[in-house]
Amino acid sequence: MKLPFSLAPTPRDQLQGRLLSLAAVFLLLFSAILTLSPAVRVHGWNTSLRWEHWIGFLVWVAGFAFLHIQSIRWLPDRDPYMLPVMALICGWGLLTIYRLIPEFGFRQTVWLALSVGVIWAGMRFQVVLQMLRRYKYLLLVGGLLLTAATIVFGTYPGGQGPRLWLGCCGYYFQPSEPLKLLLVIYLAAYLADRLPTVFTLSEHLAPTVILVGTAALLLAAQRDLGTAILLVSIYTLIVYIASGRRRILIIAAVIMLVISVAGYFAFDVIRVRVNAWLNPWIDASGRSYQIVQSLIALASGSVFGTGPGLGSPGLVPLSHSDFITAAIAEETGFLGLSGLLVLYALLVSRGMLTALHARSNYRRYLAAGVSVLFAVQSLLIISGNIRLLPLTGVTLPLVSYGGSSLLTASFAFALLLVCSAHGEEEPAPLSQARSFTLVNSGILAGIFLVSLAAGWWAFFQSGVLQARPDNPRRFIADRYSPRGPIFDRQNNPIVLTEGQRGELTRNTVYPLLGNVTGYSNLLYGRAGLEASLNDYLRGLDGTPSSSIMTHQLLYNQPPAGLAVRLSLDLDYQQRLDNLLGDRVGAAVVLNARTGEILALASHPSYDPNQLEELWPQLVQDPDSPLLNRSSQGMYPLGGAIGPFILARVLATTDLPALPAQLSYQAGDQVLTCSGPVSDPPTWSSALVNSCPAALVAASRSISSSQFQDLHRQLGFYTAPEIEMPAAPPSAAQTPASAALAAVGQTELRVSPLQLALAAATISNQGVRPPARLVLAVQTPTEGWVVRPGGQSTSVFTQEGVAETALLLANPDIPIWETVATARTEQGTITWYLAGTLPNWLGSPLSLALVLEEDNPEAAREIGLNVFRTALPSE
Amino acid sequence: MSATIVLILRLLLVISLYAFIAWALITIWRDQRQQALLLASRRVPTLRLRVEEGETEKAQSFDKAEVLVGRDATCDFVLENETVSLHHARLVYHHNQWWVEDLQSTNGTFLNDERVYMQTVLISNDELRCGKVYINVTFG
Repeated sequence: MKLPFSLAPTPRDQLQGRLLSLAAVFLLLFSAILTLSPAVRVHGWNTSLRWEHWIGFLVWVAGFAFLHIQSIRWLPDRDPYMLPVMALICGWGLLTIYRLIPEFGFRQTVWLALSVGVIWAGMRFQVVLQMLRRYKYLLLVGGLLLTAATIVFGTYPGGQGPRLWLGCCGYYFQPSEPLKLLLVIYLAAYLADRLPTVFTLSEHLAPTVILVGTAALLLAAQRDLGTAILLVSIYTLIVYIASGRRRILIIAAVIMLVISVAGYFAFDVIRVRVNAWLNPWIDASGRSYQIVQSLIALASGSVFGTGPGLGSPGLVPLSHSDFITAAIAEETGFLGLSGLLVLYALLVSRGMLTALHARSNYRRYLAAGVSVLFAVQSLLIISGNIRLLPLTGVTLPLVSYGGSSLLTASFAFALLLVCSAHGEEEPAPLSQARSFTLVNSGILAGIFLVSLAAGWWAFFQSGVLQARPDNPRRFIADRYSPRGPIFDRQNNPIVLTEGQRGELTRNTVYPLLGNVTGYSNLLYGRAGLEASLNDYLRGLDGTPSSSIMTHQLLYNQPPAGLAVRLSLDLDYQQRLDNLLGDRVGAAVVLNARTGEILALASHPSYDPNQLEELWPQLVQDPDSPLLNRSSQGMYPLGGAIGPFILARVLATTDLPALPAQLSYQAGDQVLTCSGPVSDPPTWSSALVNSCPAALVAASRSISSSQFQDLHRQLGFYTAPEIEMPAAPPSAAQTPASAALAAVGQTELRVSPLQLALAAATISNQGVRPPARLVLAVQTPTEGWVVRPGGQSTSVFTQEGVAETALLLANPDIPIWETVATARTEQGTITWYLAGTLPNWLGSPLSLALVLEEDNPEAAREIGLNVFRTALPSE
Repeated sequence: MSATIVLILRLLLVISLYAFIAWALITIWRDQRQQALLLASRRVPTLRLRVEEGETEKAQSFDKAEVLVGRDATCDFVLENETVSLHHARLVYHHNQWWVEDLQSTNGTFLNDERVYMQTVLISNDELRCGKVYINVTFG
């Protein structure tokens, strides 16, 4: 059996055959990896592998084996590098399109087969070169007319978009693609006819300027500005190469600059593109979405790439056409992208060499023009993809999806290949070689610069870009690598990951905790514990870094997440949720000694399992179910400051006589007790009901700055150190007056969690415990590792809290309690604070409950029931 | 298992890409070096000019690709005759041929008694006339 590329009568053919074989090996490996990639993603063979792209590979092998043999027959003196380089670029593009959208891959395979035919025809009928020269005006005008036709008949194949295509019967054709090549042919023919005579700028360039200007204006009218820029650049470079006058470059640069600045102010499209280029981060989810996603793709690929089929390049819009560079960079990395750039550099350099050796000026300018066309177009779009230049919507020649683009590029390539076959004939006399070398060096320098810029994003900015919240890969990883479960203190599941790799889903087993556990969702991001514990749950913290690196390298996935054990007790939790029912409010029950949160309710809540269906309602619900009120809800204290005033005062002095009038005039409002006081009124009854006058009387010895100290010691100015999103604490501020501070009429706002921790001081000998929610995480190497707790703070003396508890004691069960109300802009809220008595022998408990309504009876009823069910009966 | 296989394949993928590039660059470099050697070794056929009349009789051989003929002492082939201009004619070798070119001399350059207006190909034993001086051209 003979290998496809083995026919080689001469060393030149042998070289071409070898290079084609290497290209085939590259594409074979690419195809094999793509086939296996689904198995890698799910860590096993229990999945369907990808086979469809092998058709593309086989067509590629057959097509280029045919071209190899035909090129030996018809073009024995051709450049041996061009065909293999073109074949490799082309095949790489084809397989990348298969990887992105298999259906487009099939279509592109058909276009590839047609392109092979076009190249063959170019080699077989070389007379076409002369025909093109003869009919240059006819062709260019034809191209212009077709482009003009898009203004009237233009459509966009994908629905809404720029109307740059002509379509019929399911096939679409973009006239601006061949227009570029027709312009190159026209210029080559025109300049070859005119240049031997004396060259004056104005006279001889007039017709070309008119034609190119018309073309550029037509394209600008169609908002195909990328192609317009491309045309003007190609025109300038070709005229410069032919004439060798540097003045042309300078004039063109000035004109382009003026047009760009004018276009910036005149065209909205240009302004958007330029702004998205200058500062993409401002509007990363809107106008600069594409470019930011492209950079994130580049960063995800890093140096080595994720491997074909293992990344998520489909996330970048238009990744099969304009942004195919991003797809290639993500899956083959900086190494792959640099390789591709070197391939383009090779093709362009060989093209320029062909131009120098060409046997006639027409062939010379044609070869140079086609090389410049390839070079400028690739540089423009690749630079646009990596934010080196503003985005121009042109295709990456030979790679991007699209029949018009591939056929045009193939035909241009065929012309180049024919020009390269100059045989033993001497090159035509060359007036100067400087412009050729200068343009070639410029192009090579541009390619090098692009490679450097890509390296900057892929290497130095990789971490920053990948960590961006708008990087969807972080959520896609959750589908393939299990996220850690969340357990309560008895190892009952609260949140689990279920299903097979590839279709893993997150199941919140106890949905009433929805606004505490939160969600990790591709569309809506992360919230709650899913956000704050993400590093553990996602396996990025607590897993050995070698394991993370191995997973990243092998699977492009993070390792399995760590299980997290919370201090919550689902028994308590369920009871608390039942008691709170449909009321709007929050409650925190904690162990007053250790600070471990046993139950945490915030109503209304939502079911994270139905986040996507519920989202529109959730964000509009006036009761804000997404908010975790227990740590994010900030309420005024009102009379709930009472127990702490007592604990401070009773340590040193006794209470004065109870005032006769228990309500209190604060500014223009009258504050009253939260509930009925016993008859005759007692201190005990007045304080349990937070009667404002009683609080003012009790706190006579506390100055307003001492109130500020008290607030600080109770932790009201600091957010609890807890692995849960919390609202920013109130700023430390000296209350306007001690009396207003005593009735809680200050700027201070506290969360139920802060108040529950403060209430713990009364049940825990005057010591405020640190808040604890996460008890332990299960690491792969050391098993369950206990998370260290914070520091306790001593706030009150033991005598102070003992006396306070005695005064506030409930007659039926061994707890102290206070009911208070406070006014907000939206209405009145009710606090219920309680805790076990200091001499309680079991685990001390404390509770802070808030209802967003003026309902002291209900608050007290719920609070008492919490303790009735929580405390073992004596 | 599948991941290890794919990792090895990915490594080979990068190697094959860079093998392609390296192979292309190495052969281009080799080709250029060979061409340079070839150009360096390419010999210009020795040009022999002979004048056989009277006092100006002289014969000279040249191995270089450009020979300037004239009365000026800086010329390669100096002709001490007043009908010869200071820089009279130039003989150049390109396209595998020797060519003669008149340098707008006063009395003209003639090849086998035909006036030379543009670059004209020379063959061995041609008779070249600068002013009134006949030069016999041979090479080989």
